[in-house]
Amino acid sequence: MATMDALQPGAQPGVLIANLRYARRAEVARFQRADLVFNGVDHGGLSYEVRVFLNVPTATGATPRDPTKGYAGRFVVFGHGGCFGELGHCDVPSVRRDPTDLRPGHPLVPQTKIVTITTALERILDKRGTLETVALVPWIYNGFRRKNGCKPGVFKMSDVTLRTYG
Amino acid sequence: MAIRPSVEGMTAEQLAALRDAWTKSQALVDDRGFGYWAGVHGLPLPISCRHSPRTQNDFLFLPWHRAYLYFFERSLQDRNKAAAVPWWDWTSDGSHTRGIPEAFDTKKIGKVRNPLREARVAISPDDVKRVRAQAPGTITPGKVPYTRRDPDIPDELPRKATIDSVLAAPTYEDFSTRVENVHNAVHGWVGGTMTLVPVAAYDPIFWAHHAAIDRVWYLWQMSPFGVDPPAAMMDTVLDPFPMTVRQTLNINNLGYDYAVEVIH
Ligand SMILES: [Cu+2]
Repeated sequence: MATMDALQPGAQPGVLIANLRYARRAEVARFQRADLVFNGVDHGGLSYEVRVFLNVPTATGATPRDPTKGYAGRFVVFGHGGCFGELGHCDVPSVRRDPTDLRPGHPLVPQTKIVTITTALERILDKRGTLETVALVPWIYNGFRRKNGCKPGVFKMSDVTLRTYG
Repeated sequence: MAIRPSVEGMTAEQLAALRDAWTKSQALVDDRGFGYWAGVHGLPLPISCRHSPRTQNDFLFLPWHRAYLYFFERSLQDRNKAAAVPWWDWTSDGSHTRGIPEAFDTKKIGKVRNPLREARVAISPDDVKRVRAQAPGTITPGKVPYTRRDPDIPDELPRKATIDSVLAAPTYEDFSTRVENVHNAVHGWVGGTMTLVPVAAYDPIFWAHHAAIDRVWYLWQMSPFGVDPPAAMMDTVLDPFPMTVRQTLNINNLGYDYAVEVIH
């Protein structure tokens, strides 16, 4: 697991590098599936996608989404666009433990996003033997497309974990 | 039983009925009209739409939007009995060549504006101010804000192979997560109004997009992988609709269907 704080800055402002090492171990059978699980993903601002590259620490917003060159997929966040209420309206309350509180969760409870990287990870392991870095390239969607791009600040989460299934 | 056609497969009569219903619905400013229904998803507050889970057993994205389309489609049929919400096949050759389907893109039909191209964003002046400040470009400038689009290149729309892999999802949670990701990408692809939760449903293409998502769910339900949502969420009420998750599961009980297609 890599927490947001533990990520390193990448080759362009906004890009983040997670050091998630994974090597094929002879004693473990091949996985059927591998997922990157992003927890605590913020969706309160503009919409954005996060492109995932394996072992491409130089990735930027201009890096082609080419599966033969480390591109592993993306997740897309449909943004809430900021707050439309009074002060405190968009503050997410901490988890409720009162069993008689039947109200639905707050709309801005952070989300979990999953990118399935089975084929991309297999490819890395076949080629180099070890996954070393996961580059996360956020791409912001604006109302005006010409203003879309790789920018810092919008993509926030708590942590990312590599999960494999036998 | 209403059959929801694909946008590109609509007959001239189906398109005419849809436009007639849509025009009448947009002209109604009370709680029977388009502005009201578009506002249920986002602004005015409360923002009622459900997407990714907020708590456990809360994968309400698919059933909530199925209920939403059901009630909106019924409201259209109150205006014109023959209206059915068509589904936008983003994977088709046509979509990958021209992008937004012509029926939703043409500016005018004769001398009349195409009600499927844009709509008034019927929100308060305060909300208009906030949308413009917080998310420039999601609604038009001017005294009366309208929806706007700023689409990406057509070939960036979802491909059939992507949908096929979504359809192979082994669990309900997995299917819901994957199909929601494709859904989010199309919101971003359309650009403008569609990129933002609070105003997205005012763009008429929203409804054809969501009918397509609903159809993918229907195809998955009919496939060997299709299973019901977890028991713990079956009796959840899809606020503000008087309908539970369980009541959304069989679309024939809701009085509509999609044109028959062979499932491989
Ligand atoms: Cu949507």
